[in-house]
Amino acid sequence: MTFSIPSNPLPRYLLQIADDQLVMGHRNSEWTGLGPILEEDIAFSSIAQDQVGHSLAFYEILHQTHGLDNPDQTAFNRPENGMLSSWLVEQTIGDYAFSLVRHWCYDQAVALRYESLAQIQDPNLQALAMKLRGEVKYHTFHAQTWMKSLLQGSEESRLRMLSALKEVWPLALGMFEAWPGETDLMQEPGSQGDPWYPGEKNLQNLWQTRAMESLASWGVEVEVLGLQRLEPVLGGRQGYHSEHLAPLLEEMTSVFRLDPQAEW
Amino acid sequence: MPILSLDPRVNRLQAEEVPADQAPVLVPGDHWPSYQVFHQRRRGEKHSSVGIVHAPSLEIAMAMAKEQFARRGETSNLWVVCTADVLEMDYADEDVFRTTPAKSYRDPAGYKVNDKIEAYKAQQTTLR
Amino acid sequence: MYGGGYVPAGADEPKAPAESPELLAQFEARIARGEKIEPRDWMPAAYRKQLIRMIEQHAHSEIIGALPEGTWITRAPGFRRKLALMAKVQDEVGHAQLLYSAAETLGKSREDMLNDLINGKSKYSNVFNYPAETWADVAVIGFLIDAAAIVNQVANSKGSYGPYCRALERICYEESFHLKQGHSVFVWLATGTTMQREMLQSALNRWWEPIMHFFGPSDTMSQHTETLMRWKVKMASNDVMRQQFLNMYVPKIWELGLSLPDPELRKDETTGQWLFTEPNWDTFFQVINGNGPCNRERLAVRKVAEERGAWVRAALRRADARYATPLA
Repeated sequence: MTFSIPSNPLPRYLLQIADDQLVMGHRNSEWTGLGPILEEDIAFSSIAQDQVGHSLAFYEILHQTHGLDNPDQTAFNRPENGMLSSWLVEQTIGDYAFSLVRHWCYDQAVALRYESLAQIQDPNLQALAMKLRGEVKYHTFHAQTWMKSLLQGSEESRLRMLSALKEVWPLALGMFEAWPGETDLMQEPGSQGDPWYPGEKNLQNLWQTRAMESLASWGVEVEVLGLQRLEPVLGGRQGYHSEHLAPLLEEMTSVFRLDPQAEW
Repeated sequence: MPILSLDPRVNRLQAEEVPADQAPVLVPGDHWPSYQVFHQRRRGEKHSSVGIVHAPSLEIAMAMAKEQFARRGETSNLWVVCTADVLEMDYADEDVFRTTPAKSYRDPAGYKVNDKIEAYKAQQTTLR
Repeated sequence: MYGGGYVPAGADEPKAPAESPELLAQFEARIARGEKIEPRDWMPAAYRKQLIRMIEQHAHSEIIGALPEGTWITRAPGFRRKLALMAKVQDEVGHAQLLYSAAETLGKSREDMLNDLINGKSKYSNVFNYPAETWADVAVIGFLIDAAAIVNQVANSKGSYGPYCRALERICYEESFHLKQGHSVFVWLATGTTMQREMLQSALNRWWEPIMHFFGPSDTMSQHTETLMRWKVKMASNDVMRQQFLNMYVPKIWELGLSLPDPELRKDETTGQWLFTEPNWDTFFQVINGNGPCNRERLAVRKVAEERGAWVRAALRRADARYATPLA
């Protein structure tokens, strides 16, 4: 399988979003049947389906407008170094605290990305962003509810969540890794005249400010936790991945690759 | 000794076999109390009782109700209420309602006036 | 939706203690009239016990049933199949929730039910003690086992216990998607490449015996069975349901040119009855009593899921929480 990472900024950016959603949804689907309580199992599965659905929508646009292969081929037949997902999403599901904190960090970032994407001039992308925003609204609501509940639940839950925060934070920062074409995309005017894409640094600042505010409101002593001192884990946006992505892709594509041209 | 499975997810879990005479894993109340869920399909329609969720609070009950009862079809609105707050009528008292369908004085069909009107008209004609 | 496969009654058959003949007569008359029994109605102890067992085991079948197909969620080929399988297995968990809720109305807590599942006291449909070895197993489970479960559920949905009927109504509605989805995967494989067809035929050969076990052996028309049918707890005999299933689905398998590993299987056109080799019931009892390929794994996974989630549930459990028997 050969794959060329798009050289134009917009399709490359969309591919990053799509790859993140695919891998995140795939990981979240691993909780189905294994969640801490039946009702929550069902909720996490919906979020996973939404995310895979979002990735499909972006792959579809990449196929229709930007010359990439059809979504199944693009997602199920790509080498590891052609994937532009962040290290955050490819980590294994770990325990529930890890998955929840990851879910919160991730979906808060997605909400911001879709917000900015809703200002793009292209009417198809604008419409898509607005449609998907609604689903992410539920994801962020769900994440916040559980973050707050478990940070304020028992001493044990608080400690587990804080520990997960320290583990997730550097990986979460990696979502905002600089990527080739970023500055070009930042020049593109949006539907309101001003550029629609604020760039990763701005997105990160906005994300971080909101996250810290929420954590503080939930009684987390952010300074003590030392999140600000943590370094981002980088590589995903350049196609370099942790040891988790290759096995994930191997598993995800194992049936498909029995015959990639077959109809399943 | 972790279970080996054909399922890669299960292998990642590293689950141990359940020993014989396994002590109870769940204590009473472990799965939280129940909340009744009421579902409205469209604005203007009534909310109907659709089931329960187990939740630690009203807010979480609402989040769960969205998943369990609004996953398909149309939904406009949901209510959740703690089961412990519901007062249930006793089915043994069902007989209280037995005579209700026969109370015609409460029913539109219990009022027939045409005979009276016709009789009056006939009488007036006769008088003239 | 995997529930409702035959699960043999335990050795401790409920013997009806002496109960008010008058109340029993009223109870039976209500059922004979086609009315439903609601949770707080007077009911014979045997009725309550049998229903709890039946609904509970149906619920367990759903949550355990999520595991064989769940095996393939991370490996589903292509977006359409991936999304559909995620949704389907999610529904199974949802059905488990609905059924536990129905059983809870009879007074057994969800915690007690899950404990009994994990410690092996409560059973679940035997068909889930087998492994889903290939992607084609997903097609066979999704099509044929769901089909068998639907035959069972449709019968049970006309039963006497209100909450169970209401749960089944909702479940049957979602099932129609499952059957379509399962049949779709089945047909795509059957009409696909040689490799796909062979994978499917192989899966069919492996699963046929468990499928034939699904409805259980011929009912012995005992007093017990007769009572359960009068109480509309058991709605149709195992044989009748098996015949329904064979009649509806064997033609659908054969029309695709697939074979089934039973040379005796055929429909007697004069009687309308399907003839088949009697499945090996010793195997069935071996498996349901713990010696199947996946029994230990299924329970181990369920136990791990409950244990690893315990801190989440404990964290939010409140001393002032108000518990009450659910209404459903």
